[in-house]
Amino acid sequence: MYEFVSGPLVWIAFIIFIGGSLYRIYYMLSNSKKETVVFPHMSLEHSLASLVHWVIPFNNQYMRKRPIFTIVSFAFHICLVFTPIFLLAHVILLDESWNISWWSLPEGVADWMTIIVIAGCIFFLYRRLTDPVVKNVTDGSDYLLLAITALPFITGFIAYHQLFAYKTILIVHILAGEIMLIAIPFTRLSHMLFFVFTRAYFGSEQGHVKHSKDW
Amino acid sequence: MVNSENWDWECKEKLVADTTKWKSQFEDVWEPYISPDGEKIASIVKVGEGEFNIAVNKETWGEEPFEKIWYPRFSPDGRLTALITKEMEWTMAVDGKTWEEMYEYIWDTKFSADGKVIAATTKQDGVYGITVNEKTWKCPVNLQSIASYVISPDGKTLAAIAQTVRLAEADLDGFLKGTWSVVVNGKPWKDNYVDIYGLTISDDGKNIAAEYRAAICEYGIVVNETPWNEKFGCTWEPVFHPTNSDEITTPVRQGGQWFLATNGRIVWDTGFVSLLYQTYSPDGSKIAAAVAPQFAKWTVAVDGQPWSTTFNECLLKPCFSPDGRKVAVIAKDSGNWLLVVDGTVLGDGYENIWPPAFSPNGDKVIYKVEKNGKYAVAVNGKVKGKEYEALWNPVVSPDGTKVMICGVEAGKYYRKVVLLSDL
Amino acid sequence: MKPTIVKREPVVDDALDHCATKLTPEQIEKVVNEVIDKETGGRLWTYVNTCIHCGLCAEACQWYLSNDRDVSYAPVTKVKDTIWVMLEKKGKVDAAFIKRCSEIAHTECNVCRRCGMYCPFGIDIAYMMMVVRRICAKLEMVPLYLQDTVHSHAATMNQMWVKPDEWIDTLQWQEEEGQGYVPSARLPLEKEGAEVMYSVIGPEPKFLAQLLGNITAIMKVANIDWTMPATAGWDNSNMAMYSGDFEVMARVERLHYETAQRLKVKKIVMGECGHAFRGAEYDGPTWMGWMRPPIPLIHAISFYYDLIISGRIKIAKKAEGPITVQDPCNVIRNAGLGKKLRYIMNAVCENFVDVTPNDRHNYCCNAGGGVINVGPPWKKKRVQGNRIKAEQFKRTGAHTIVTPCHNCHSGIEDIVNTYKLGMHVKFFSEILIEAMEIPEDLQP
Repeated sequence: MYEFVSGPLVWIAFIIFIGGSLYRIYYMLSNSKKETVVFPHMSLEHSLASLVHWVIPFNNQYMRKRPIFTIVSFAFHICLVFTPIFLLAHVILLDESWNISWWSLPEGVADWMTIIVIAGCIFFLYRRLTDPVVKNVTDGSDYLLLAITALPFITGFIAYHQLFAYKTILIVHILAGEIMLIAIPFTRLSHMLFFVFTRAYFGSEQGHVKHSKDW
Repeated sequence: MVNSENWDWECKEKLVADTTKWKSQFEDVWEPYISPDGEKIASIVKVGEGEFNIAVNKETWGEEPFEKIWYPRFSPDGRLTALITKEMEWTMAVDGKTWEEMYEYIWDTKFSADGKVIAATTKQDGVYGITVNEKTWKCPVNLQSIASYVISPDGKTLAAIAQTVRLAEADLDGFLKGTWSVVVNGKPWKDNYVDIYGLTISDDGKNIAAEYRAAICEYGIVVNETPWNEKFGCTWEPVFHPTNSDEITTPVRQGGQWFLATNGRIVWDTGFVSLLYQTYSPDGSKIAAAVAPQFAKWTVAVDGQPWSTTFNECLLKPCFSPDGRKVAVIAKDSGNWLLVVDGTVLGDGYENIWPPAFSPNGDKVIYKVEKNGKYAVAVNGKVKGKEYEALWNPVVSPDGTKVMICGVEAGKYYRKVVLLSDL
Repeated sequence: MKPTIVKREPVVDDALDHCATKLTPEQIEKVVNEVIDKETGGRLWTYVNTCIHCGLCAEACQWYLSNDRDVSYAPVTKVKDTIWVMLEKKGKVDAAFIKRCSEIAHTECNVCRRCGMYCPFGIDIAYMMMVVRRICAKLEMVPLYLQDTVHSHAATMNQMWVKPDEWIDTLQWQEEEGQGYVPSARLPLEKEGAEVMYSVIGPEPKFLAQLLGNITAIMKVANIDWTMPATAGWDNSNMAMYSGDFEVMARVERLHYETAQRLKVKKIVMGECGHAFRGAEYDGPTWMGWMRPPIPLIHAISFYYDLIISGRIKIAKKAEGPITVQDPCNVIRNAGLGKKLRYIMNAVCENFVDVTPNDRHNYCCNAGGGVINVGPPWKKKRVQGNRIKAEQFKRTGAHTIVTPCHNCHSGIEDIVNTYKLGMHVKFFSEILIEAMEIPEDLQP
């Protein structure tokens, strides 16, 4: 079992993740061509300006208005992306199989980052359950996406601390990570892929076409 | 057509009038107009408080001023018309002599090609009509409004887009049942339509066509009261074939793209982002149109084949040379107006370019341009001769050897005739 | 997903009520899918697949804020209750649903694009509401007064059923009014080759003709070579853009620009209106295949800014007392004229008091986007839906609100009256005409 999830399934997950992502981006771009105005309205300068104002915390008026959300959201997303990439255990695995490695996070830091992701998930879950606007637009899929996101980190945390049956938890952890990878292109987790494009378009339309700003 | 053979093509330069004198003579002088033969220049002038007259060359229209004058227009035969008011009523004045009838309102003067017919839209007692040489249409229904009208070259057929049915306020059903129609020489077509646009008469005066709107997003072409079988998402103004008035061509929109259709059938198989201003060559064998194969990339397509050069702003209506071999168009690219012939840009960009005239063999394009607020004549991309404060479109003589250039220099209005070969 | 709980006082709208009874399920399904498949593309698909349902857009919306944070007014809810359902059910929705869609898109959203600016992804919710409007328009599900206005555009090429003679007659009359300020002023009709074509929106000749007299005097003082057309094409407004009837929208915009091309002007200067700027600068040209207007379009704010900063108009006497301003969404947030507006306000006002939030972050007047044009049946909801605007103005302590936009002007007058703010609502030109210096040689 372990061999399967940590061997062929990893390959499958990454192939689906990368292939699926490329396909979804291609699908988005080719469909955008159908609307003749989309590409002529794009501008690199205004795309970048928009991105700069929305990937740096507190660099736009709305983020400053909602400091708690901004802090949680940034901490969550940074930890979500960087923890798995720079986790020592992951880097060692890569080194063992392929003989490539890179810098890794100190274990204690990675542990805290994992906790931040889990805490972020709890925060988002709490909002979904209590904020009337969010609650009204939440359905099963939103909880599922939250679970898909949280599970690799919860299981990873348990595995790292060897709290339960290590081997089983490890298999569940790997599976959870693979599910998340596969889910990214085909669920609304694809906001990870599309963020750059939606921002670039709105920034371009607001800046290049309408001579205003979007922050 | 007006016969320009009788114009003076011999006198090389004539000082027709010194308009600087007008400035001292009158309280205010409005923008000038000239007669088609260039022999007269006229301006509305203010002679006192609420008193206006028209100055033509060295004279004015009689001693008695009018309360208001506007829309001075020379007819093709050289008579000067204007719309005037006396005691709060309006009428047409022709060479200073007013029509007998007075109207609640009168506007939109138009002429037959020879200038013998003078027409205008009039309103009397709340009823709208077209008045042709002082005779107002007798229409069986009271026209609620006239949006616009057209006149055939021979002046015998006049057709108007008119509201034939009274519409109550916010009566959506009534509107969609049709309140607009075409009225030809006072007689409305049998059917009413939601809207009528793009009314046109064939050159021989026999056929009349327009775009009509059948429903919210449903448009078609109606020719002599009979609609095409085909309907489209949108249409633009139809144009008759110059010699075969049974043929009519129009841009139509299908599936989000524009196509060219003749008598209901798509004739250009390529769809465009935009397609406007279809124009027949003089013998009707070719069609040119302004097209955008891609968003914000404009060019001319001749018989469906776009030029390779494109322009990023817009195009005006293309025109053929008299022999039909060349096509010229005024294009705008990056803020500059350009003259383009068969896909090649001629000369520099200008602040403005006026519709060009071709030499008979199509070798030379002659046109008015504006640069730094002054006007000049350009030929094949190069400015020729002086700059003027005011300039009118150069006119090529009927034999194709000479060009009439009329312009104002230092307040003096000159009429010049130059050899085409000298340009 | 559970349906949104919507509490509204019932509104009778003859067009929506009547047309809804005529709709068939087949017709609805066909139109919904036709619009979504053929008229939208990657944008709508990406927006729907990117929205993470975070609800951050709610805070942007004056409807939501003014209605005590009623969830049903949140932008994301408006998408949920329209587009999401249409996509999920592949167009198999009923007439009551389409009616609610029209109410949401035409009467409860001003397509002001503030929510787009507050979405972390820059999802343009207003665009999605325009898609909903398009579907409704093709099903004839447009509120009565808005549809009537669109019919006026289609039939007369102006917003107010103004007939050709009434237009010219009004200009000739207002020329005389302008001469009351400056005797030698002229309103030049059909002057080919003038520098500027001045265009206005339908309500000016119909209800606010004095604005045409004002501009006649201002143009003379500023010594502008200008003209106005005596034909259709004079109206720069466009409610067809807002009903979703894009074919009529395009015809109106085309005529506007072809009129300017016929008159051979260098640019069009337009009166104080926001939506008209949007239609003429952006939506119309885009539909026509023009990247930008074929003749440059200058909004009144830019025009007055140029006149004042260049000294072509000098200010003799600044308006007294605290005066505030309304930032029209379509020329501030969506055209970037906020700084220029502040410059001219300071130039003519002794004590200009700004609003908070301001500039591109300002709240919509709640009348724009065609919402005031849906008419009297919907007025109560509209005014209730902008309580925060009344509170915002009250905080300024101003005696006058300047609104360089017709829809803002009418909408804010309603708010001033309903919330008893006791403030005057004026166009910028009305302040300018009193404040500007009329040189001696031009004085009566």
